[in-house]
Amino acid sequence: MEIAFYLSGGVAVLATLGVITSLHPVHALLYLIVSLIAVAMVFFALGAPFAGVLEIIVYAGAIMVLFVFVVMMLNPGPLAKARERAWLRPRIWLGPSVLAAVLLAVLLATLWRGDPGPVVEGEMLTARAVGTTLFGPWLIVVELSAFLLLAALVTASHLGQAGSSREPDPTTAREES
Amino acid sequence: MLTATHLLALMPVILVAATVLVVMLGIAWRRRHTPAALVTAAGLGLSLLALLLVSPMAPIETPLMVIDGLALFAMTWILLAALASIGLAHAYLGGFAGPREEFYLLLLSATTGAMVLVASRHLATLFLGLELLSMPLYGMLAYAFHERRSLEAGIKYLVLSAAGTAFLLFGMALLYAQSGRLDLAGLAASLVEPGVWALSGAALMLVGLGFKLSIVPFHLWTPDVYEGGPAPAVMFLASVSKLAVFVVLLRLVLAVPAFQGLEGVMGALALISMLVGNLLALAQSNLKRLLAYSSIAHFGYLLVALAVVNGATLETGMVYLVTYLVATLGALGVITLMSTPWRGEEATALHEYRGLFWRRPFLAGVLTVCLLSLAGIPPTIGFIGKFYIIALGVEAERWWLVAGIVLGSAIGLYYYLRVLVTLYLPGPRMPRFDAPEDWHRRAGGLVVVGLALLVLLLGVYPIPLIESLEWVMAMKRA
Repeated sequence: MEIAFYLSGGVAVLATLGVITSLHPVHALLYLIVSLIAVAMVFFALGAPFAGVLEIIVYAGAIMVLFVFVVMMLNPGPLAKARERAWLRPRIWLGPSVLAAVLLAVLLATLWRGDPGPVVEGEMLTARAVGTTLFGPWLIVVELSAFLLLAALVTASHLGQAGSSREPDPTTAREES
Repeated sequence: MLTATHLLALMPVILVAATVLVVMLGIAWRRRHTPAALVTAAGLGLSLLALLLVSPMAPIETPLMVIDGLALFAMTWILLAALASIGLAHAYLGGFAGPREEFYLLLLSATTGAMVLVASRHLATLFLGLELLSMPLYGMLAYAFHERRSLEAGIKYLVLSAAGTAFLLFGMALLYAQSGRLDLAGLAASLVEPGVWALSGAALMLVGLGFKLSIVPFHLWTPDVYEGGPAPAVMFLASVSKLAVFVVLLRLVLAVPAFQGLEGVMGALALISMLVGNLLALAQSNLKRLLAYSSIAHFGYLLVALAVVNGATLETGMVYLVTYLVATLGALGVITLMSTPWRGEEATALHEYRGLFWRRPFLAGVLTVCLLSLAGIPPTIGFIGKFYIIALGVEAERWWLVAGIVLGSAIGLYYYLRVLVTLYLPGPRMPRFDAPEDWHRRAGGLVVVGLALLVLLLGVYPIPLIESLEWVMAMKRA
């Protein structure tokens, strides 16, 4: 199980390097998904299956897929088809695929050898334990997170509205173009 | 488990948070600028009253927060500073062309975050409080996002603050790896003899908090953000945000031994902050940038209190923090008034203030008092703060730090006086910027005059401030 931890950790580091070195957002996002799945594997290896599953469902599953959709839909047009064909070249998907394959191999190898249990010491953290902590003594943290999201939402909605206030004056517009 | 007593103790925070919801629902129902500002101010006022009611019960420990003397003292000043920001923001936003009410929502959320931050006794509330304080500030700084400078200020603060947060989280992870605890009491107990990991964790947390405090190697964002952000947002950033982060750093230093192991580092940071801040301020011809560099220097002085940990650290730190807070609020308040109502540009260049005395004598007087206080001249409150800091340094025989303070203050005097001279020179016949004709009858005018009076009053008669701090200290010892 220890080797699983190190392999997944390595994959996470490599995939994150891929994120910040990719020039195209879609490539970066592919790497980011692999990186998040690798982090989830790290959680599994550490004996925190709940955190691992959350990582996959919330980050890799929901948020990242949303990101990919938005980025792909941003510039639909006649060029989009040619661009999508370009995305299917092996040079682009080979890197993330290799990293994902390593993760799969780690997972299969761990399953093959049966479940040796977490090597890192400490009891298994269950969903129940997380829930009772969060909504018991840590209730204030949940509320604060809610306010954090609210503040982020207000900021985003304020900054996101275009053209509702006055027109940008011609001098600054010229500067920008 | 949270009990009724805990909820009662958290009432000031809960009231501010509830005001966020009330203002938000109000906006959803009908957009009215003045009622939104009034409701916001009323919520903050109620919270101040609740603080008064809670104070006899202190100290109370809830699972993640502690309402003790320090938290109550800091919350009082946070609420007062937020009220001052609102008083000036209302007139300033009167001319704003976009939606104005969101500003109050963001300001209230950030105030909630600051109040949680100063009361945190657990790394989880520390982190979330800090994020809740910073997140709305991005929106407030970029509020006039049609202006390139404001947007730039927001984005710069966002990126650098996120980098700071990453350092902070990494530091917390290292502390946790060494001790297995996240609450401050547990950290203090298990890190009596801090190892390498705990020390590096504490150092990384110091880096993260240093970003927010704009201590010297991490100060690069400060002048641009001060210059670009709308003046009321900058007021809030310079007062509430810095006060809350400094209080939490003070709490960490007093409680956790690993931070006391960083005394040498803090001393060095203090020395370079006061020298670099003051030297860079010399060349500024923009009042907001000048105040930004002066705030860097002031946090250098404040770090002296953290570099010398003894019985007087808390009192010295808080006295200096209050002196900085009141004077900075006053000075930035005058800039806000001069730029009121919003018209895309602000009166930030020093030459806009040429001859202000001959046009608006009282406003020039307010700015004079505040700048003298920042320079540390008696009979203003700034002198009391400087006195405390130097006394602490001398008592601990840290001569390098004392020399730095003296040198820094001498340099500081030069550029503060340069601004003052400008105020009293004969002015241009047609000034581009001027405060509204009836500024002294508006809320913002009352706020700046009140702040200037406070600077003078506490400078001549600082006993109430010192007595309230002695109450805080007594609770700490008990």
